[in-house]
Amino acid sequence: MANVSAHLRPTALRKNGEDLLEIDWSDGHRSVYHWTNLRQHCPCAGCREERDKPPDPFRILKPAELLPLKPVKIEPIGYYAYKITWSDGHDAGLFTLEHLRKLCECPACRRG
Amino acid sequence: MSAGTTPKIVLPGVKHVVAVASGKGGVGKSTVATNLALALHMLGRRVGLLDADIYGPSIPIMMGIHETFDPNTTSFPLDRYGIKLMSMGFIVKPEQAMIWRGPMVHKYLQAFLTQINWGDLDYLVIDLPPGTGDAQLTLTQSAPLSGAVIVTTPQDVSLIDARKGLEMFRQVNVPVLGIIENMSYFIGADGQRYDIFRSGGGRKLAQEAGVSFLGAVPIDPRIAECGDSGDPVVHKYPDSEVAKIYIELATVVAAEAVKGGAREALPGLAL
Repeated sequence: MANVSAHLRPTALRKNGEDLLEIDWSDGHRSVYHWTNLRQHCPCAGCREERDKPPDPFRILKPAELLPLKPVKIEPIGYYAYKITWSDGHDAGLFTLEHLRKLCECPACRRG
Repeated sequence: MSAGTTPKIVLPGVKHVVAVASGKGGVGKSTVATNLALALHMLGRRVGLLDADIYGPSIPIMMGIHETFDPNTTSFPLDRYGIKLMSMGFIVKPEQAMIWRGPMVHKYLQAFLTQINWGDLDYLVIDLPPGTGDAQLTLTQSAPLSGAVIVTTPQDVSLIDARKGLEMFRQVNVPVLGIIENMSYFIGADGQRYDIFRSGGGRKLAQEAGVSFLGAVPIDPRIAECGDSGDPVVHKYPDSEVAKIYIELATVVAAEAVKGGAREALPGLAL
């Protein structure tokens, strides 16, 4: 896991269009995230369990899942994480700064 | 499933919020928190002490407050020896067990922080329960903590849990101001030093974690006697060796908390 020191913190968050979240970090890095990718990597216990299961071909979608999923709220938690509330009501995932840094989709981070 | 709401608590009159924590129970956390708070007060600071141990509050007995109060008619925090105090033990009788799950602990800790007029304080010391559970999560997620002091005893069985406490604060980005080794040694009537629970564990842990070793508090039977009688040793015997050690610890903790400065909240984003 990417090691985020106590001194490394976001300095600004912004939306880029409807699909992207950008985070500026105190070390000068600018992270880019697709909201959909963040949701796919939701760290809550329920989503992790769901990801670990084999896909269910007969799963019945809930009505809320048929609508395009959007973030409705993002709020800081203490000094270490953000909580995202989604349009389907899901809000259990706390995205730690370490996790967010690891999920960065900017070209440099994707190259590894 | 919902993680619940965790509104960020703002304590505008409080300059520094310092948590006193340990991984393990029984290392003297409440004794250290109480005497540290009194030592800070003796240094001329305005101090509050919040007992965050909802299940087993110790601050009332240590501060000599044995009665319970009606929260509808009592203006909290209470004041004893110049320290502003709040504890679950002020509203629930000692013989009544608090058989609560986490959300109730969360609710009451939030209330203790937000619905009580702490006024202007230089330091609000929070005496945490042992472990890395609900109370710790609530406070690290919602209270503006300046830092945490970890209390341990010298032996490995305590250090193992203290490491977990250190790791928790690292993960939630709360600075560890340093480690205090409690029950560190005993000076016998013969003037000899006895390392009853071994020695040097706190310093070793501080070095290993890259945090400050704040100091060592010896075993002194008067500490327990004073705690049980409701007049902490720093207040009752201000000229004792132990009191002097606590004054030194308070000086270092105060300096470390100030050095950390006011912590800037993470930026938000309105969607």
